[in-house]
Amino acid sequence: MPSFTLLGQSLVSGVLVGGLYGLVALGLSLSWGLLRLVNLAHFAFAFLGAYLVYQMGTSWHLSPWWAVLLIVPLFFALGVVQHAIFLYFRVVELTSLLVTFGISVIIESALQWIWTADFRRFETPYASVSLKIGAMYVPVVELIGCIAAAGLAWATWAWLRWTYVGKALRATAEDPEIAVAFGVNQRFLSFLLSGVCAAYAGIAGAFIALISTLAPSQIWAWLGVVFAVVIIGRLGNPLGALIAGMLIGAAESVAMATFSPAWAPVVSFSALIVLLLWQPDWL
Amino acid sequence: MLLEARQLRVAYGDATAVWDASLEVDEGEIVSVIGPNGAGKTTLINAIAGLLRCSGGELRLDGHDLTRVPAHRVCAQGIALVPEGRRLFTRMSVEENLEIGCYVPAARAARSATLERVYSLFPVLRERRDAMAGLLSGGQQQMVAIGRALMACPRLMLFDEPSLGLAPAIVDDVFDVVRRVREEGVSVLLVEQNVLKAMEIADRAYVLEQGRIVSSGVPQDLLQQSHIREAYLGV
Repeated sequence: MPSFTLLGQSLVSGVLVGGLYGLVALGLSLSWGLLRLVNLAHFAFAFLGAYLVYQMGTSWHLSPWWAVLLIVPLFFALGVVQHAIFLYFRVVELTSLLVTFGISVIIESALQWIWTADFRRFETPYASVSLKIGAMYVPVVELIGCIAAAGLAWATWAWLRWTYVGKALRATAEDPEIAVAFGVNQRFLSFLLSGVCAAYAGIAGAFIALISTLAPSQIWAWLGVVFAVVIIGRLGNPLGALIAGMLIGAAESVAMATFSPAWAPVVSFSALIVLLLWQPDWL
Repeated sequence: MLLEARQLRVAYGDATAVWDASLEVDEGEIVSVIGPNGAGKTTLINAIAGLLRCSGGELRLDGHDLTRVPAHRVCAQGIALVPEGRRLFTRMSVEENLEIGCYVPAARAARSATLERVYSLFPVLRERRDAMAGLLSGGQQQMVAIGRALMACPRLMLFDEPSLGLAPAIVDDVFDVVRRVREEGVSVLLVEQNVLKAMEIADRAYVLEQGRIVSSGVPQDLLQQSHIREAYLGV
């Protein structure tokens, strides 16, 4: 039995990593839930963002916070272009899986071509800074990532809940024809949302660059756990994605501390299977 | 003339569902379209609402051509739909459903006043404003669907089978609401299988069979025709 300090520390680290799961899951959940498109390329976009932040940081000495300001509009445009392609080829929910798998492979190859398959580490002065709270260490970058994830999830939730555009997006997800009959420009909103999702991938990418080691093949490493987070958090529900991300992150981390690191991947899928079998009302 | 359809033709691919339909709705009128299942009533009303493209003919609101207006701009022209089967946004609250009704900028500006009007017309909706629309009873859902269309501040409301699937007592309420809608100055085009009710409420009516308008006139005259008495009233 590990000590309470170790358990507490793994809980804290797990929640922080889980915040990043939530951040990556956010855009995927929105496009799946509201556009009915399963965007596997979301992970590749995130890593493209991570590599760009890394490159801007190492060759231009641009701080990641400034890099994000460039990444957001750039990735918004990328999302719009991607959606134009989807509309042109009449991509629907099932075919989107195949098409975006293809896009992911293309981006992975491009990353490998430009940055090689070597592992890369973005060295920043604050990467190793930690706050000490009681007996626990809280890495500052991961804390900021977690706060960013929470802020973005909350802002997105508020946007969907309280604005006309947000309500129109939810209405369109349920019955596009009737939403259009009441004046909702479905086409425009789908472009907007696709852009927002890609921009979220870019933001997640910036934190991936700061927190983890980069390699092109890593785009697949996040896939399983983030899919579990998206489904457990309910499709199209930003706060759900965040909370599910933190819960899965914490559970994984505690499992690693109490059993062995090899058990971590079992946690997210066990949680997913249990919830799918149980189907509680709130899911 | 508020709404004017001339030789309107609507098709699903190669299959034409409405042939050369001509009909008119004047300001302040209630006009009914009756006909059997599959006659093309819903097709006709969806084409007027902009959900389906017309493949031929003219469609004008206040003289303005509607056939080239994109679907999402029809509502702003003053047409609101109460669709068949209500088609509420079931996972959104009652009030959110009503707010989608006033999505169009002009209607949005009048949101609070119209919302107040809808709640005074249907007090039960005020009580249940935060409930998920999908959890309401059939009659209450129909009220939300009518309220949602009223929120658009329309000049013409299209009702597609508003009595479908409702208990008889509620059906009377729904037709009372249609009358009140007209009293507020909104014209009504009503499509119904409940022929007696539709005739009772209408100023004028059209009979649609197999995609063609076969007869039209004031309800009293139509109800005298032996074909209509046999086909729709069974007498």
